[in-house]
Amino acid sequence: MEDLELMRHITIGQYLPTGSAVHRLDPRTKLIGIGLLILSIITISSVGGLMALLVVIIGLVLLARVPLGFALGGLRPALPVLIIIAILQLLFGWGASADLVCPDLWSFWIFKITGCSILTVIAMLLRLVALILLTGMLTMTSTISELTHGIEKLLRPLQKIGFPSHELAMVFTIALRFVPTLAEELEKLLKAQVARGADIRLGANPIQRIRHFLPVLIPLFLTTLRRGELLIEAMEARGYTGSVGRSHYVQLQMTAKDGLALLLVFGLVVGLIFIPFIVLDAKFLLLLAQLTGQ
Amino acid sequence: MDLVNRTDTPPIFDLKNVWHTYAGTPPIEALRGIDLQIYPGEYVAIIGANGSGKSTLARHLNALLLPSQGRVLAAGVPTEDTARRGELRRVVQMVFQQPDSQIVATTVEEDVAFGPENFGVPESEMPAHVQAALETVGMWDLRARPPHRLSAGQKQRVAIAGALALRPRALILDEATSMLDPAGRRAVVEVLRLFQAQGTTLVTITHEMEEAAEASRVVVLQRGQVVMDGDPHEIFSRVVELRSLDLDIPPLADLSMRLGLPVCLTVEELLAALGPAPASQTADVENTPCSPGPQPAPEKITDPVVTVQGLQHAYLRGTPLESPSLRGMDLQIARGDITGLIGPTGSGKSTLMQHLNGLIRPQAGRVVVDGEDWTDPALNVRQARKKVSLLFQQPEDQLFERYVGDDVAFGPRQLKLDPVEVRRRVKDAMHAVGLPFETFKDRLTQTLSGGEQRRAALAGLLAMEPSVLVADEPTAGLDPRGRAEVLAIFRKINQTGVTIIFGSHRMEDVLTLCERVVALHEGRVSRTGPVRAILGRPDVDLPVLPLVLAASRLCEAGWPIQVTALTVPEIAEAILKAGYQVAVHD
Repeated sequence: MEDLELMRHITIGQYLPTGSAVHRLDPRTKLIGIGLLILSIITISSVGGLMALLVVIIGLVLLARVPLGFALGGLRPALPVLIIIAILQLLFGWGASADLVCPDLWSFWIFKITGCSILTVIAMLLRLVALILLTGMLTMTSTISELTHGIEKLLRPLQKIGFPSHELAMVFTIALRFVPTLAEELEKLLKAQVARGADIRLGANPIQRIRHFLPVLIPLFLTTLRRGELLIEAMEARGYTGSVGRSHYVQLQMTAKDGLALLLVFGLVVGLIFIPFIVLDAKFLLLLAQLTGQ
Repeated sequence: MDLVNRTDTPPIFDLKNVWHTYAGTPPIEALRGIDLQIYPGEYVAIIGANGSGKSTLARHLNALLLPSQGRVLAAGVPTEDTARRGELRRVVQMVFQQPDSQIVATTVEEDVAFGPENFGVPESEMPAHVQAALETVGMWDLRARPPHRLSAGQKQRVAIAGALALRPRALILDEATSMLDPAGRRAVVEVLRLFQAQGTTLVTITHEMEEAAEASRVVVLQRGQVVMDGDPHEIFSRVVELRSLDLDIPPLADLSMRLGLPVCLTVEELLAALGPAPASQTADVENTPCSPGPQPAPEKITDPVVTVQGLQHAYLRGTPLESPSLRGMDLQIARGDITGLIGPTGSGKSTLMQHLNGLIRPQAGRVVVDGEDWTDPALNVRQARKKVSLLFQQPEDQLFERYVGDDVAFGPRQLKLDPVEVRRRVKDAMHAVGLPFETFKDRLTQTLSGGEQRRAALAGLLAMEPSVLVADEPTAGLDPRGRAEVLAIFRKINQTGVTIIFGSHRMEDVLTLCERVVALHEGRVSRTGPVRAILGRPDVDLPVLPLVLAASRLCEAGWPIQVTALTVPEIAEAILKAGYQVAVHD
């Protein structure tokens, strides 16, 4: 029943104030830097390159003094789906490559495992771990407020062509601000149901789970709507009328350190993309071929 | 308190024949011809039973609502003038009841800055405004905290700081303390005193008569009309009228009137009105020490229905945000008793309660309720949960069904009882909470009043026919009459043999209802014993019954009041025994 503590499962906004050098960077630096790294996840196709990228990312996570296990926490719920995809990919021998020779390792009926499908599965897992570490690092080293201000500032030039960057940032802030509140609310309702004899097992099959959630949804919607009304009232009473005439409490300041960090990330990304790590993949396949006697 | 010179200055709020009707079938006339002038620097408390129109009135003062008829001038601006509304709102700020629904930003300091940002306060001046406001409410050290990691009392102080950061001329509080524990409430009241000293006009809406007594003027509403308006001393002398309006008077006012004195609202006033303690009694004073005696010896409970041993619990266990809540708790609760569970926010009250019906399973230690051991992995959970019901805070938010009868039947149906038995249980339960089955079973749950919804939620638990009923703050947010009704229902339930564990911040309620008390402090049991022995001994880690403080002050002034005197009649009797003569007025 410990599962009813929903806050355990919410990693959004789990800011970890370890006070590292990464924490002290301007949020725009982190957004751009992590954007570049995500770009390289997509661009790099070789397993060797992705491994090198992962080493770099793990280095950054350690630099931010975020516990690796905690940063990987977001992986757990996706694990079952992931394993299924990995097995399918492995069995159907997808992922043939024009540049590489793929030794066949095993085949039966329509199933076929090749050296390339092993590489593809490894690449997929590496990409995923890298992505989760990067997003985790972003939210664990920057507060929600820093992120929203960073995004608003980055998008502000677009306001000139009518893009509602302030409103967007506001919506984003309020949504994130109320995630923990909603989770608490839902937890309370689930507990109230259980306390009245309902049998909710969060581990039960998905259909049963949805059926248990249905009666909770109506009171949840009602309280959320009521809360929304109250929030609008409070915002109105505090003089909110939109972006016109507003000033800003949080002033972001880029320093030399931010420039240095961006240069470093840019250099790493360029390096990772252009160093021919694909040679490593080819060596691996060759080894496999020799081992299986092809 | 300084009296405001009403002839020189124009009123800051000027309401002329204000009506307000909410659309609906039938339309609800919330305000019916209000004439009210509030002057700069006044501290006005607006009281009235649930549904008397207090909150509607408050929302007319800053143009959140507009009159259907009549007009409102606030800070010299007509509220219907949309062009000048910003100007109005900047000087008239408001703090609401729900702590969680008025915080917009993701950190404390940015939320306080939200108002100043909206009004375009120059960026160079803003930090100073924000810091001053947060320092006033004592929250500057927590400025970087996200709101979900604050207590309700802290959130309300943030909301007040948010209003203060605009340096308003008037502050309106709409039941802003009703969700707080005594410590949170005291902190808010302190801040308000400070504001008043600085000349801010305060309008506070409250169900707490002791808070209303703090004001310099009390306005009483009944069904949308002002029925009393005056100095709190004058208003609280009209006991009969107030009680007929489902209101009450502060205990000190009650005490002073029982002694035939003019209404006193503070201990100082009471001491002055009483005059010096009779000299003949000074010898006796030695025998009635004003400081409480030694702690009562722990009693032996022969037939415990609840046994908790070495219970520990940490939230978010195994994450870097892990926070301990229970740190080794031991307690026993006797079968058939009504036991009060007291302690400040964060002392572990709700965590303990959730252990009692297995919503949280023990991480370490043991919990046995009515023979069911929650530590036993082979325990039949559904069977065990049938024996103990838990009423959450604000249970009216947890009604699941459309119709009242169905909602009360939710539990029994989960137990798969036969329809005849379900019907009997629903009928009995609804009867026990004073919602007659035939009248209420087909009513929509959402159309019940707040008090009725709370009783319907209670009926839903009673229909499970538990042997132990655990309730978390069941009287919070109710008006004096609603509170009395709920307490009476609990007493009646107890008479049918149900053990009751009553968690509350209101020591008055604990004293009237409970036989024994378990006091919690920082995740441990700090005190346990008969209710009078515990509540009569004010201590740093215990919420204090306001009258106990008054009694000990009287005792220090030479009035022989035993520490066992906790209620108004008892203290009055002690003073009369000491030879005080009740003055007879015509």
